[in-house]
Amino acid sequence: MIDMQQLSFRYESAQGNALTDITLHIPRGEFLGIIGPSGAGKSTLLSVISGVIPHHYTGDFYGACVVNGMDTVEVTPTDLSRVVGSVFQDIDAQMVSSMVEDEVLFALENFGVPAKDLDSRVEEALATVGIANLRHRSLDTLSGGQKQKVAIAAVLAMRPQVLVLDEPTGELDPASSQAIFRVLRTLNEQGTTVVVVEQKIMLLSAFCKSLCVMDRGSVRLHGTMREVLAHPELLREIGVNCPRVATLHEQLLAAGLSAGPVPICVEEAKAMVEGVLA
Amino acid sequence: MKGMLQYVHGNTILHKVPPLLKLLIAIAICAACFSTRSLLVLLALIVLDVILGFIGNIGRQTLRTLCSLCKFSSIIFVLQIFFVTQGNALVTLPLGVRITDEGLRFSAMICMRLIGATLPLTVMLTLTRLPDLTRQLVKVLHVPYKYAFAFTTAIRFIPILARDMAAVIEAQTARGVELDGNFIKKLRLLLPLCVPLLVSSIRKIEAGAISAELRGFHLRGKKAA
Amino acid sequence: MIHLNGVHFSYEGREVLSGIDLDIASGEFVALIGPNGAGKSTFSKLLNGLNKPTQGTVTVAGLDTKKARTSALARKVGFLFQNPDRQLCRSTVRDELLFGLELCLTDKADIQARLDKTLADFHLDPALNPLTASRGERQRVALASLMALTPQLLILDEPTTGLDWRECMHTMELVTALNRQGATVFMVSHDMEVVRDFAQRVLVLNKGRLAADGTPHEVLRRTELLSDAALLPPQIMQLSLSLGANYDDIDTCEEMTESLIRRRLEK
Repeated sequence: MIDMQQLSFRYESAQGNALTDITLHIPRGEFLGIIGPSGAGKSTLLSVISGVIPHHYTGDFYGACVVNGMDTVEVTPTDLSRVVGSVFQDIDAQMVSSMVEDEVLFALENFGVPAKDLDSRVEEALATVGIANLRHRSLDTLSGGQKQKVAIAAVLAMRPQVLVLDEPTGELDPASSQAIFRVLRTLNEQGTTVVVVEQKIMLLSAFCKSLCVMDRGSVRLHGTMREVLAHPELLREIGVNCPRVATLHEQLLAAGLSAGPVPICVEEAKAMVEGVLA
Repeated sequence: MKGMLQYVHGNTILHKVPPLLKLLIAIAICAACFSTRSLLVLLALIVLDVILGFIGNIGRQTLRTLCSLCKFSSIIFVLQIFFVTQGNALVTLPLGVRITDEGLRFSAMICMRLIGATLPLTVMLTLTRLPDLTRQLVKVLHVPYKYAFAFTTAIRFIPILARDMAAVIEAQTARGVELDGNFIKKLRLLLPLCVPLLVSSIRKIEAGAISAELRGFHLRGKKAA
Repeated sequence: MIHLNGVHFSYEGREVLSGIDLDIASGEFVALIGPNGAGKSTFSKLLNGLNKPTQGTVTVAGLDTKKARTSALARKVGFLFQNPDRQLCRSTVRDELLFGLELCLTDKADIQARLDKTLADFHLDPALNPLTASRGERQRVALASLMALTPQLLILDEPTTGLDWRECMHTMELVTALNRQGATVFMVSHDMEVVRDFAQRVLVLNKGRLAADGTPHEVLRRTELLSDAALLPPQIMQLSLSLGANYDDIDTCEEMTESLIRRRLEK
């Protein structure tokens, strides 16, 4: 679905590269989490996928990024947006209107969806993220979690095949963050490819299929959640936290106990503990 | 500050008037304020604004806006009084400063014009859904969509900016800045704070522009052109 | 350090906090948790006088917040906002720190000494422009500017939001150091792991009332109470809870490992 080949990028005004020699393949139907310290290039990578780089932010672009057969350098971000939907961290700044319904209508009207279909498309997008009841509300009466769902719905209205999100739960409490990730999981199960940048490793490990760890413009680790979490020392060196159950696994191994494969959730950790005592 | 220029939902007759007509009425009232020289007419126009506010079911909010406008214009009032020296002196202060009947009249007129012209615009914008206004600007007046969108986005940013400014003031108060002094002192303290506000606003506007672009904003721009 | 007596707070006619009584002693490290919209920020702003109680009294560092000026409180209470950009307003780190110091102090020698010490403690480049720095650095400058005044009470509104793991640990180490020197810390947080690791006392705010008050061990294991407040226990607590009563005293990885080694040996 997304294919990056030896991709490097330097922002016009910057000294060093924001991305260096990235080769990354993201298959259709993937649910990929991206984590890494600040300045690792996570947001830059998302901007490449959505075509904002190099069309909006210019600079030295080497290599290629192909999304669904389209070279992101050759097509415009607007054309790309029929395939890739983008959700940003700043919840208020990405809104273009003051009412929920208008926010979702914005893209539909822009892309020239026939008037007779508008109503059902809005309904569908809002229902997918579970906020059909908020359709006629004003945005400033909503909570942060609800607004972020509106932002996702507004992008979903275009029926994108890929959804990229940049720290969508940055300002949300644990329950609202989980709710957003449950929405993402549902979408992924329905076939959407999801790429999400996030600092909360517990959320990523609980929901994503694979994990990509970035550091100073490069991909340091990429694989299934279990493959990546099996390298706790490397993760710490990069500056990424491990879920506590993975840290426990590491400590059990260090104590000479046979703990088996690294657990990625509490249920698996429970099985691990029972295994250690068996 | 809170809620200023933010759409207030309702079902009153004023909500149903077409947005353009509303804007036209507001502009007409503004124009009337600036063309008349009669204090009585100005007073009547201000009363009309308040009545419109009550018809639109935002009476209390309108009175609040009126109140803050009064505070602001009282500063202008005091300044103006001393600048106009024509007419009969009512009070003579040392150093040749005098307050005249003409000065009083002129200052009152300036202030009432300011209030009378600002109020209808805020009332109308509070009662109008911005996307409706954008649509009408494009359809009826044939304003290119890009400009209409920019116009309504600018208006939409006012409450966001006001909220940010309030948060900045709060944060500075928390570290010991005293903002309850006189107007000049307040201005001197607040001006440097506008820089970070500007920086974060530019970031916000850029994020908004990208978000709009990624949702096909330019497609509509092309069609309208 | 902090006394709340029958505190009610209403905003635009809606009661946000209803009937809160609380005593926090000098030197405590207290965390306040709860769902979005429970009034956590409102609560913390009561403690530095930005919000005044509608009913009841709030006394902080011996000052009644209703009577004291916010600027008088600012000398004793440091408040770190969730968004550091609200606080920063000068174009170099040196000017930013000086601005904060000069607001509260007059002794030139004292100001200079504090400036030098803070720059050294925080490893800050005095010429750095905070406006162009990363979020983590901006947070650090904002925190440095508060700590330069060695406040008696430090209030933190979600200090780890938007930071990566290393920045988060660094911030918490600085806060812990100040706490060890005797300052009281009051922290609003969504991160249960951070709360478990650093706080000595946890308050749960839900629907305008304090739903729980106790040590992290006492509060963070109450699954039902937490889920009612849109929260989850930290991961290892979830694990020990799911393992049953034999694991009641286990909250951390280290405790769990130790316990498992012991249990193996007993077999």
